[in-house]
Amino acid sequence: MSEATAQFSDLGMEVPVASIGRELKRLWEADEASTNASMMNFAVYSEDPESLVRNSGAIQELTREHACRAILIGMDRDAAETRIKAWITAHCHLAHGKKSVCCEQISFLMEGKALGRLRNTIFSHLASDLPLIFWWQGELSDLFEAALYRMIDRFLFDSAEWADPGAGFARIREAAVARDGIVLQDLAWTRGFHFRLAVAGLFDDLVAQRALGEVNSVRLVANPDQRTTALLLMAWLATQAGWRMGLELDIAAERAEGCDECFTLESREGRSISVKVEWEAQSAPLSLLEISAPDCVVSVCRDGEADFLHQRLECPGHELVLRGPADGIASTDLLAEQLSRGGKNGLFRKVWPVFFELLSLSGP
Amino acid sequence: MSNPFREELVSQARSEVCTVVILGATGDLTHRKLVPALYNLAAEGELPPGVKIVGMARRDWSDEYFRDSLESINREVSRSGHCEELWGEFRECVSYHCSEFQDAEGYRKLSERLDEIDRERGGAGNRLFYIASAPGFFDDILEHLGKAGLNAERAGYWSRVIVEKPFGTDLPSARHLNRIVNATFQERDTYRIDHYLGKETAQNLMVLRFANAIFEPIWNSRSIDSVQITCAEHFGMEGGRGGYYDKAGALRDMVQNHLLQLLSLVAMEPPTDLSADGVRDEKVKVLRSLRQWETPELVAANTVRAQYTAGHVNGKPVVGYREEDRVDPESMTEAYVALRVMVDTWRWSGVPFYVRMGKRLPKKATEISVHFKDAPGVLFSALPGRVPGGNVLVIRIQPDEGISLRIISKLPGASLRMEPVKMDFHYASSFGKSSPEAYERLLLDAMAGDATLFARRDEVEEAWKFIDHLERGWHATETPPKMAEYAAGSWGPVESDALMASEGRTWRRL
Repeated sequence: MSEATAQFSDLGMEVPVASIGRELKRLWEADEASTNASMMNFAVYSEDPESLVRNSGAIQELTREHACRAILIGMDRDAAETRIKAWITAHCHLAHGKKSVCCEQISFLMEGKALGRLRNTIFSHLASDLPLIFWWQGELSDLFEAALYRMIDRFLFDSAEWADPGAGFARIREAAVARDGIVLQDLAWTRGFHFRLAVAGLFDDLVAQRALGEVNSVRLVANPDQRTTALLLMAWLATQAGWRMGLELDIAAERAEGCDECFTLESREGRSISVKVEWEAQSAPLSLLEISAPDCVVSVCRDGEADFLHQRLECPGHELVLRGPADGIASTDLLAEQLSRGGKNGLFRKVWPVFFELLSLSGP
Repeated sequence: MSNPFREELVSQARSEVCTVVILGATGDLTHRKLVPALYNLAAEGELPPGVKIVGMARRDWSDEYFRDSLESINREVSRSGHCEELWGEFRECVSYHCSEFQDAEGYRKLSERLDEIDRERGGAGNRLFYIASAPGFFDDILEHLGKAGLNAERAGYWSRVIVEKPFGTDLPSARHLNRIVNATFQERDTYRIDHYLGKETAQNLMVLRFANAIFEPIWNSRSIDSVQITCAEHFGMEGGRGGYYDKAGALRDMVQNHLLQLLSLVAMEPPTDLSADGVRDEKVKVLRSLRQWETPELVAANTVRAQYTAGHVNGKPVVGYREEDRVDPESMTEAYVALRVMVDTWRWSGVPFYVRMGKRLPKKATEISVHFKDAPGVLFSALPGRVPGGNVLVIRIQPDEGISLRIISKLPGASLRMEPVKMDFHYASSFGKSSPEAYERLLLDAMAGDATLFARRDEVEEAWKFIDHLERGWHATETPPKMAEYAAGSWGPVESDALMASEGRTWRRL
């Protein structure tokens, strides 16, 4: 076995691209005891060719809850020779301890440059009538173009992986305009789901609700690799509370004091709210959110990669301490959560105006 | 005052913070269903933070003993497993209040305790009373809740009640109970639980019918030959349930509530909207349209009741119904019932709905099957061999939730031979994630004030009207229809098969 062949042996059986359909049929015929289940076409694209084996492992996990036809693409655009290789396999699980349910996976290794090859490869191997969910890993390249995203129903990406989130989101916004109905899901937004839920839960409390109008500062501690995750959370907080961007002078003053990322928001009542985002290299993606009013502090925190969030409301004579589930750390977990929740993700787009303003401020 | 952070956060109706008071907290329902449901909601972050649980019952238990007792069962039955850390915090939200259900002082103290919880929470709060006691205490509990003022809405904070089945034992008792409930709680604050409606497939029935354009045009007497609703149980009277069951019987225990609810969902017209009353208005119209047979003879001709005799279930010998623990050896209570039900509406004119429910049948299964009329035989009836029966749409409620459609297909080969084949959708295969327990969904709905999946007063009473007329037909005669027999582990009595055969039909094989 050559080194290259061994590297991809986890992807299943290598097959000629032209006979993928026939080989898949044979695969199913060989095992009559299994059920082929598929709720969607799930394409995973990466410009790191070594991602194929890693993503195959992720699909193995993902298909426990989300039956799909998986299409994995590893792209090596710098390769001198233009060629394409394909593998097929099936991931099987015992559903509820009884029936063996299997999902098929087609993997492609694309080398070199060839116009239109990516979208053609995907489109020609879709299971008919099922939605196309597309997970783009890493930076958005020029292959993310209209002819591709016009066919996508749900587009998943992780803006925390982008070196230039501003440029990445500009492309995302283009897609949102050009492809009416596309559902856009940023794993950086998913990463904050339980934080948002925890904050909302604390503000169910009447005392916290009364204190909301008095909030004068917000402190957010996050991992520096998760800038968009942090800013999306801040944008959500500001959007829902009706806070708008405040004075630039305050920002400059805060920065002069050595604050990592600081700005001022203004409440509906005209109250100034000072916001500090602090970056801690060893922390969880989102580590602490502290919302303070003169008499009350609402906080949500996560210790490292703990499975739970600690929620706390402290007001004079009134304290509430709770614990709630935390968001997954691994991309696959976040992805599975996001797919389970489905929906149009309207709230994500609602926070964009504030998010883009925050994003335009300088980073860590 | 509202919470802006809740807006658009999740798509379902928002459950509100409240104190859940479980009356009858030492029983099985609390331990095996209610508290594990609340725990799972907490584990998944669905339970509104700040929810407190107060169990009330007669036994002299402490908070700690109650929590320990709940914990030991939660370890066994919790759908999401049992996490020590999470339980450690969850148990702090749980407390126990010891009181007799007839003791006014006990309710006064309960009221004080709830006020204290509200104060700790920062003011007044919502309250959800779950009556999980034996039915004999319903009156006392409701009356005392009212006298203690616990039923009252206070400054924008609701007080709701969930009532478990059986909601009465006949129409007069159901009306009596409704009067008591509605004298204490407003109808909009009353949630009569039918856990079948919390099951995923039962909820999916409306989606199947009204979100798929292909079904509604053929969902009527022009295309449908008959409908079968089956609830089979392999259990007998284990765990001492014979005492209750022998007083109730299959008709009252299962048909009056669960199976008539399923029938309503199958037969109802499209609601004007998905509001609780929009849906329930249509369901109650179906119940009002159920034909009441005019004479005992007609009742007898359209129903079968039976008891099981000794037999084998899952390879083990089991005793007959009358030999079961706590069952009267001369009992005339049915452990099996089969009905031919007619829904007298334009849509369903002439379409029989066959409903059967039985204990000690070969397996546990609940399903609805819609049998379509045969295609005109002009093309294929001249061919040699039998033309297989028509299309059947099956909606499986439990245990293997899903939907299948039987279609007729040509067998491969030179000759034209046909066989039925099945297109099958399994929730478990397509959605690996397990569905939440029915009680989880229903508790959240009650906290959110969404009564769609709960029975309304008129629904309950209309269902009892229908059941009572059958009971009268069985008993208001010198020569009541005989109690048929079937061997435990079989698919019911021959009389039930004969009921179907008399109209050229057979029960679907499950």
